[in-house]
Parts: sequence; C-alpha cells; structure tokens
Amino acid sequence: MSIIKTENLSKVYNPDTVPVHALNDVNITFEEGEFTAVRGPSGSGKTTLLNMIGGLDKPTEGKVTIDDVDISELKDSKRIDFRLNNIGFVFQHYNLIPVFTARENVSFIMLLQKRDKKEIQERADALLDKVGLAKKKDSRPVQMSGGEQQRVAVARALASEPKFILADEPTANLDTESAMNLLDIMRNMNKEQNVTFIFSTHDQRVIDRARRVITMVDGAIYKDEQQEVSEAQ
Amino acid sequence: MITVSSILFAVVCALFIESLERGAHNLMINNMTSFHTGHLQIQDYRYEDEPSLDNAFYFDDTLLQSLESSDPYIDFIVPRIEAFMLAAGDEIARSAMVLGIDPDAEQRLNQLKDRLTDGRFFEDGDGSLVLGAGLAGRLNLAVGDTLALIGQGRFGMTASGLFEVTGLINHPIRDMNNQIVYISLSDAQWLLSADGLITNLLITPTRVRDTDILASELKSGLTDDELRVLTWEEMLPDLIEALEFDALQTRFMMGILYVVIGFGIFGTILTMTLERLREFGILLSVGMKRIKLAAVVFLETLFISVIGILSGSIVGFFILLYFNYNPIELGNDMEELFLEFGFEPIIPVAIEQDIFLWQGFVIFLIAILICLYPAIKITSLNILDASRR
Repeated sequence: MSIIKTENLSKVYNPDTVPVHALNDVNITFEEGEFTAVRGPSGSGKTTLLNMIGGLDKPTEGKVTIDDVDISELKDSKRIDFRLNNIGFVFQHYNLIPVFTARENVSFIMLLQKRDKKEIQERADALLDKVGLAKKKDSRPVQMSGGEQQRVAVARALASEPKFILADEPTANLDTESAMNLLDIMRNMNKEQNVTFIFSTHDQRVIDRARRVITMVDGAIYKDEQQEVSEAQ
Repeated sequence: MITVSSILFAVVCALFIESLERGAHNLMINNMTSFHTGHLQIQDYRYEDEPSLDNAFYFDDTLLQSLESSDPYIDFIVPRIEAFMLAAGDEIARSAMVLGIDPDAEQRLNQLKDRLTDGRFFEDGDGSLVLGAGLAGRLNLAVGDTLALIGQGRFGMTASGLFEVTGLINHPIRDMNNQIVYISLSDAQWLLSADGLITNLLITPTRVRDTDILASELKSGLTDDELRVLTWEEMLPDLIEALEFDALQTRFMMGILYVVIGFGIFGTILTMTLERLREFGILLSVGMKRIKLAAVVFLETLFISVIGILSGSIVGFFILLYFNYNPIELGNDMEELFLEFGFEPIIPVAIEQDIFLWQGFVIFLIAILICLYPAIKITSLNILDASRR
C-alpha cells in the first residue's frame, strides 16, 4: 500500500532572479515498510525531495499526497500538525534542542501531541533504551557524542509514532562505528516494527543497506532499483 | 542577562531623571511655601492688591473658632505680620523686610532656628531680633549690635525702634537673606501700632494633598467676609508657570530617553532572536505550531522584561535613597546661578511612589512593543533556512 505519492513534483528556487530548478517533474511512490535510499551528487535534489515529502517546503508545481492527503495544499498550521502526527525527521546536524536533555528532546514531540504525562515518560524512556541511550537520558546534547545525539534524534523521530521517517544525511557527521550502530538501529526498527525509512544520502554504507535505491540527477529520477540486502550487511 | 541589564539600566535612568525633576520642583515649592507663602494663607481680601498694614486683620478667638471646623485637616498655624522698613546700622541703612513671627510656629514650618549661623534666637517680646546674614553683612552688623528700624506703621503712624541683634541666620533664598529681619510677633505689633493684628495667617495641612479640601473647608468656615483663603498655587502663579515649562522640557528629554531605551532594548531582543532562529526552525520542523511558539517566545521576553523592570526599580530605589540623603551639591558658576535665582544650590531627588509606577509602566509598554518582534519574526520564519543556520 503506497503511503507517499508525488505527482509532477517540481521546485524552482529564486524564480524571479536566478532560477534554480531543484526538482523537475518527479513522479514517485513509496510503500509502507520501505527502507529506501535516495542518492545522487550534490545539487541533484535529494534533500529538496525529502523536504517536499516532509512538508517543510511547498512545491512550485505538482503535489505530494500522503495517505490520500494532499499536503502541498494544506495551510501552514495544518501542515505542521500533519507533520507532527505523521512524519518523523532525522537531520544531518541532529537538530536537537540544546537546552533539553535527551529525555526532554524525545518527550517534547509527545508533549506537542498532548499525550498523557505518564505515557510520555514511559515511552521516552523506552525509546531511549531501544537506541542504547538508557544511561544518557538526563544528558544534554553538548554532553553527548555525535553518534549519541543522532540516536536521540532517531528516538525523537519515532516518538510521535509516525507513518514514516525521513532521514537527511543521517550518517554524514558520524564516524564509522557510530554510523554502523545507527544504521543497525534503524534497520532493526524497519524489520521489527515495519517503520518506513527514506534516506537522502551520499553514504555508501547506507546505500548498501537499502532495499530500494533511487538515483537522482539534476532534480529528476535517473534510476529506481530494488536491491538484495544480505543479513551480514 | 543582557536584556535584563539593558532594561534595568533603562529603568534606573528614567527613574533618576524623573526623580531629579520632581525633587527640584518639590524643593522650589517647599522653599517658597516654607519661607514665604505657606501651603494656605488667610489674608484680608484687599491685601493681595495692596499689601500694607492697613489691610491687616485681627488674630483673635473669633478667627480661631472659625478654624476649628477645619481642625482635622490643619496641622498647625503660623501667624505673621509683615512690613517693609528701613534698617539702619551705625553708618549704613538698607531696606528690609520685617517679619513679626511666632518663633515656635516658624520652627515647625521651616526649621528657622536651625538656620542660625551665629548667636541665638529671640524669645517672644524680648525686644531683640535676628537678621539675614546677607543683610547683616551689608549693614556691617554682628551679634550684639543694635539695629534701628524706621518706617510707617498702621494708618500712617510713625514706626521706629531700636533692637538688639541676637542672631544671624542663613536664609536659603538669597534675596531674602539680603533683606530679612525676624522679630517677635508682639514686638512687631507694638512697633507697627498693630496690636492684635497680623497680615498673614499661614496654615499647614496635615497632608499636603488635602490642601484643596482644607481651602474649601476654610472658605466655608470663615465668618469674617473680609478674609479670604488662598492656596500656594494661587499665590505663586509665576512659579507654577515656571515649573510647567520645566516639566515640558523634561518630558521632551524623557521622550528622547525612551527612544534611546527602546533601541537599546530592541538591540538585545534582536540579537537574542537572531541567535535563536535555528532553535525556532527546529521547533517548527518537528511540529510545534507557529502561533504557540510565538506566544511562548513573547511571554518569555515579557517575563525577562518584567524582571528587568522590577530589578531596575529596586536598584533605582537604593540609588535615589542615597541621593535623597546626599543631594548633589553644585559648585562654582552653577552655585552662583542657582543662588541668583533664589534657589538652593543643590539638586535633590524625590522618592515618590507614582514615579516608580509611571516609569515602570512606560518601560513595560516599550518592552511589550519590542517583545512583539520575535513573535512576528516566528510567524514569517522560513523553517528550512532557519534550521540550517
């Protein structure tokens, strides 16, 4: 069952001055449970595609439909609401709130969803345990390594029980060991809980673990292929 | 901290300037009412146009009884008889303002006895007098010397007498210092052939703010149609005008100060907002609504402003308290200038509740307007640009 669908999706930045065609008529669907990598050189439109899907930006033309909801037509506040309840984000630079602890960063999303206090606490602790940060719940981002911060970001992304998670270059700032740990966590969640992951990445380690690899060039889909992934990877 | 400090400093500056103005005005009013007009005066209705002894009135039981109805509002009364006479020493003569007074009543009004620089104050009816130090210098007289007073008494009768100088005082108003002669009320009445008569009855209300109420009570209580009641504002219209003009200048200066304060606070809020744009972008990207974030940030900056205002008021209070007890003393040319205009050469401050409330309120309004900036910025924030900063 496809949960994400783009139709004739285009994005032009600075249309009045020096127009940059970041996306050119992209038509693509994503199914539930996918573990997909979107690859391509810098400027190919990977991040722009993820921003469109995630509702962080509006397309110049075309539309993005998530579970039959055209998010590109939603008003700003409705789009933010939709994002809160349906989409999880993992950013390249973690984007944790620096004054919050790990637990508070994860809890914050559920607070926005107005969940029960007890549920928030229990779920936040459980998610942090799952990403291997049981001992770092009360640490602030500045007290954690890059890998740990990114794991908090993953826990935060999962906190709202989203339909899918968008990860923009999640391993870009991580060392090999941290990157592998993070990928293992995300792959396990994909396998065990059928969480959909869509990555924008240069990282071959991520690409090797993806069951679907989409290659973009100059804002368009160049290649879209399934691949076998061994358990060892 | 920077925003709090900025607001604190702004409040202290605003308090100080307003307090200086109020203090200076209060000093002028106090000097004039203490030494010259009192807060209220009873006079003969003709006295204002023709301030002569012919328009004196009897200070008797009838008058005292008519004051009884206003008694709760009256703190104390100060009778005076006033005349201009020629004051002569051995070789020099000068015009002088002779004031017949009740020393104890005057002491309550303006602490006159505390201003003695030499000698002692006279007792009632002891035939001695006290001079202003400036006049004593002009007449070349000292304590123990004899002063002759020559003039015209009531209904044109000759008034003359010799009096021993028992003391010199330093009057805060220079012009008065150069011409004042204090003599006991009974001695003055004898000298001026005005037994039982006074030219002015000064009345001090229990509370200054009850002056108008007391004036109204007195007007209705007085049985003698020839007497009238005047407030200090009615007696000193020139001073009122001068104070209003001065207040206008201060308002203009305060306006400039508020603009400077506004920009100062805005600078810190602007910096704070720009530094937090990434944080705002993150919060919006993970699902926080703009209006909620704007409201939180607005309340946050408002809270910081309130802390700044409260701490500024506290710091301002202690600074003003210090200067209240240690007023700024002017020297050199400024001192001369002030004395020339009849003012004490000091810059006092006033510590009054409404100064704190008003300045706190104005700065609070300025802060509220400025606090809207980050909220407005959030409503138009590009999430992607902000979260990438």
